[in-house]
Amino acid sequence: MVEERRILYEHLDVPDINTFDVFRQYDGYTRFEKAIAEYQPEDIAKMVLDSGLKGRGGAGFSTGEKWSFVPKDIKPCYLCCNADESEPGTFSNRYVLEKNPHLLIEGILICCYAMGIETTYIYIRGEFTLGKKMLDAAIKEAYEQGYLGKDIRGTGLNVDIYSHPGAGAYICGEETGLIESLEGKRGQPRNKPPFPAVEGVFRKPTVVQNVETLCNLPFIIGNGVEWYTQMGPTYADTRFDPPKPDANTGTKLYCISGDVNEPGVYELDLGLTSTELIEVAGGLRGEEVKAVIPGGSSAPILTHYELDTRLDFTSLTLAKSMLGSGGIIVMNETRNIVDCLLNIMKFYAHESCGQCTPCRWGTPWVRDIVQRIADGDGRKDTITRPKFGVAENGRWGDTGETEEIYEDLDLLESVANNIANVDTMTWNTICVFGIAVSWPAVSYMRKFRPEFEATIREGKLVTLPVAEATVPPEENYAYQQRFVPKEFADL
Amino acid sequence: MAFVKLNDLEIEVEDGTNIVEAARQHGIEVPHYCYHPGLTRPANCRMCLIETYGPIPGAPPGTIGPARQLATGCTTTVRTAPPDRKLDDKYDAIVQTDSPRVKKAREDVLEFLLVHHPLDCPVCDQAGECDLQDYSYRHGHDKSRYIEVKNVPPKKDLGPDVLLYSTRCVVCTRCIRFAEEVSGTGELGLVHRGSHDEIDIPRSHEGVPLQVLDNKLAGNVVDICPVGALISKDFLFKSRPWFMEKANSVCSGCSVGCNITVEYKVDGVYRLKPRFHEDINQHWMCDDGRLGYHYVNSDDRLQLPLKRVDDEFTPTHWADALAVITEKLSEVEAEDIVVIGSAQGTNEDNYVLQQFAHDVLKTTQLGLFGQLLGEEHKFPQFTIEADKNPNTAGARTILGSANGNVVLEGDTLWEKVSGAKVVYLVSGLPERPLEDAEKAALESVDFLIVQDILPSEITQLADVVLPGTTFAEKDGTFTNSTGWVQRIRKTIDPPGEARVDWEITQQLAKQLGGEMNYHFAGEIALAISENVAGYGDATHQKIGDAGIKLAE
Repeated sequence: MVEERRILYEHLDVPDINTFDVFRQYDGYTRFEKAIAEYQPEDIAKMVLDSGLKGRGGAGFSTGEKWSFVPKDIKPCYLCCNADESEPGTFSNRYVLEKNPHLLIEGILICCYAMGIETTYIYIRGEFTLGKKMLDAAIKEAYEQGYLGKDIRGTGLNVDIYSHPGAGAYICGEETGLIESLEGKRGQPRNKPPFPAVEGVFRKPTVVQNVETLCNLPFIIGNGVEWYTQMGPTYADTRFDPPKPDANTGTKLYCISGDVNEPGVYELDLGLTSTELIEVAGGLRGEEVKAVIPGGSSAPILTHYELDTRLDFTSLTLAKSMLGSGGIIVMNETRNIVDCLLNIMKFYAHESCGQCTPCRWGTPWVRDIVQRIADGDGRKDTITRPKFGVAENGRWGDTGETEEIYEDLDLLESVANNIANVDTMTWNTICVFGIAVSWPAVSYMRKFRPEFEATIREGKLVTLPVAEATVPPEENYAYQQRFVPKEFADL
Repeated sequence: MAFVKLNDLEIEVEDGTNIVEAARQHGIEVPHYCYHPGLTRPANCRMCLIETYGPIPGAPPGTIGPARQLATGCTTTVRTAPPDRKLDDKYDAIVQTDSPRVKKAREDVLEFLLVHHPLDCPVCDQAGECDLQDYSYRHGHDKSRYIEVKNVPPKKDLGPDVLLYSTRCVVCTRCIRFAEEVSGTGELGLVHRGSHDEIDIPRSHEGVPLQVLDNKLAGNVVDICPVGALISKDFLFKSRPWFMEKANSVCSGCSVGCNITVEYKVDGVYRLKPRFHEDINQHWMCDDGRLGYHYVNSDDRLQLPLKRVDDEFTPTHWADALAVITEKLSEVEAEDIVVIGSAQGTNEDNYVLQQFAHDVLKTTQLGLFGQLLGEEHKFPQFTIEADKNPNTAGARTILGSANGNVVLEGDTLWEKVSGAKVVYLVSGLPERPLEDAEKAALESVDFLIVQDILPSEITQLADVVLPGTTFAEKDGTFTNSTGWVQRIRKTIDPPGEARVDWEITQQLAKQLGGEMNYHFAGEIALAISENVAGYGDATHQKIGDAGIKLAE
């Protein structure tokens, strides 16, 4: 049985941890003080790079590497904390904001010190009213205690934090969409390059970090890089010679929901499998696992064949899925995959910002196709293709074999791939919203094709038994890479 | 200069040029909707996707391959790379605009662009000059796979001259950016989200417009709209673009001298569209100029010479009208004659006029008549000047060239007029109200010859009215306020018996024994270039379509 390893959430349940005094009792701000007293800013950036910390927001990009892209000679530069947690199935940040906001402030202070940043914006999801209230109170307290503002604790460091509520758009969780929204414009992502690290908020270099990423910083500083790298697996990227270490260090706040007995946020080491996670979350509710969504609704789905896939950044990438925000949704045998896809597609069609063509008009199209299939109006055709062989009369000729063509499934795959191609991982859109749409659409359809076909055939939603509904990995190229991990090997 | 490999071509382009422009300079089309050279580049239409090449990560140094993602041509600029970062040791950039991936991407994007499009080309004004049509034909599918219900957003009235057919809109946001950046008025914006995106003006909850698109540059949004979404009410259902002839000309609305294209048919001018000129109007023109051509097609145009018989105008023929004038002119002394040129007339008109005054009538009293001073409008990237005449600068110089650069204007002119016996006034101005002093001065003249295009307060006072021509009916040159000499071109024939202004003046000169024998405007321009200081290069051949700037 895997145990939880609580680091970020360690003191989450302590009463009044949201107040400065209680937070202080539990080592609050000592890590920041240690950072200032013992390290130069460059040392901290080096430590973060060495720790292998990967951004917890979704893309899993190395935090230290991101910091290294920020030009040192352009000032001011900004820190943008992404607290616009809106991926369906993800709910870890809100607990930090509601219960332990001082931890986030401490993380921000360390980042600001390392990068020479004086202004931080926390873009907080508009629906987090309690989180915003707690955070604002904590910021106020930190100002009063001299941990924010001018000349913090006599060190000459100036840091200001502004919290800014969003207005409820999913796309404002995308970093450039967030920046546009923060600047008071319509929340639409920018075309990249330039990336925010070079040109972000108010056209200045900007570090955009997720709440969870920033909350990791105090512990990396407090306990050291060595302690941090012990947690989680490190792989070797054999494309490089010598192989480059590909670290998946630290813990992750997994938000487990769906058909489990004790859904909730669990802080666990990276690199556990779905089976282990379900066990931690009180076991499966129902007979058997039909599917697991590993990283929020935009991640490609995992079938029951893939339950042994380790849920870390590298392994899931090799499985052609992603860890994303760590929002894990478990589905049991009663769930209909067509219905699930329809639910997800309705969400994305509604949330597309409408800026670029493929997403604006492709996303509702995909939704309409899935809707049509779910309504029982999916198009199907039986065609006869000439096929030469030994025919019924025993003579060589056209055997007249028939083949069933599921026109709408082909259309669904084609339209989704035209927004963003999941096989080549290229998108025609401005931002990654495109791939967030086509990933579920294509992976659900490919991996659970029998269920889609049955739905079209029967003219109504049909839930097949798990074994029948799933395409075995050997038959589907969507899986292939998982079983031939050429590029990475266990270190 | 950056050395770029574009498809199979090796080309040199200036640093900072984007791929769309670089390709256009070398005859390669990169289709695009949202990109406009005069506006910022949001890269939202995704039509100009191209394949860029660069070093492959993880591969041995020197290996070059296509980047994983396609890039947008409008935002990808080329720059001279440092020697160690050249591709294939010599190129600053390698770009493919016709690789299979690029073609596939274009097809896909075009399919998306057309899913909600009503395909109402037969009743769409833009048909024939529509980017959606052209690109679909060249880069798209021949049929649609879309069987769902299409969005049908409402048709909207945005302002005095602009209609929005939302169904045809591809949400390229050119119009929004125009209103934001060039006119600076910001009336337009996007409402709703996702596939329900619509361009709109600010409205109350009941849908009542709070602001309308009525700035003086509003008409430009119709030009820059790549599809038939924004439509000019003025041109609505008037003509198919392919039925119209086009001529490069210059706007006669004010002294800016915007380059325009006059689109016309045999029965009149149909519309004016701006034409790019880097130093004068960039891509734009104002609505005063754009919609100010209607007088050309007016049914009221003067078509026959008129002479006053017993206080009534009687239509007559040219020979008769000129005979009356000749008789009158030969009776009076030179100092009793005032000749007034028009700031609306071309340099050629005014040159012949000053030659007539100087050589034939021997008078030194030359005046200049033009529109009253209007209002100046400044926009962030455009200015409409207060001087509403296209050729004040040119007329002033050319009329003055005969006379020691003394041209009578304003009060001094009207003083001279009130003391004169015969006044030959070339007007050619549409809608010119007379001020009291002007009217009094003209009334006091014994014999007033007016050469004009429309019946007006001025022609009411005349003894003889000669039908002249507008800018659309003659060749010639205008000099704008910043010293650019540019050509206008004849598009339609003058109505009835009306004649080109300089021809009338020349005929009059011949009748009075003058030696003038010009056959076409270019000949006069040659004479101007020889005789008028500063106009040395201003021959029609050298001016061409781009114009020339006079030395300061």
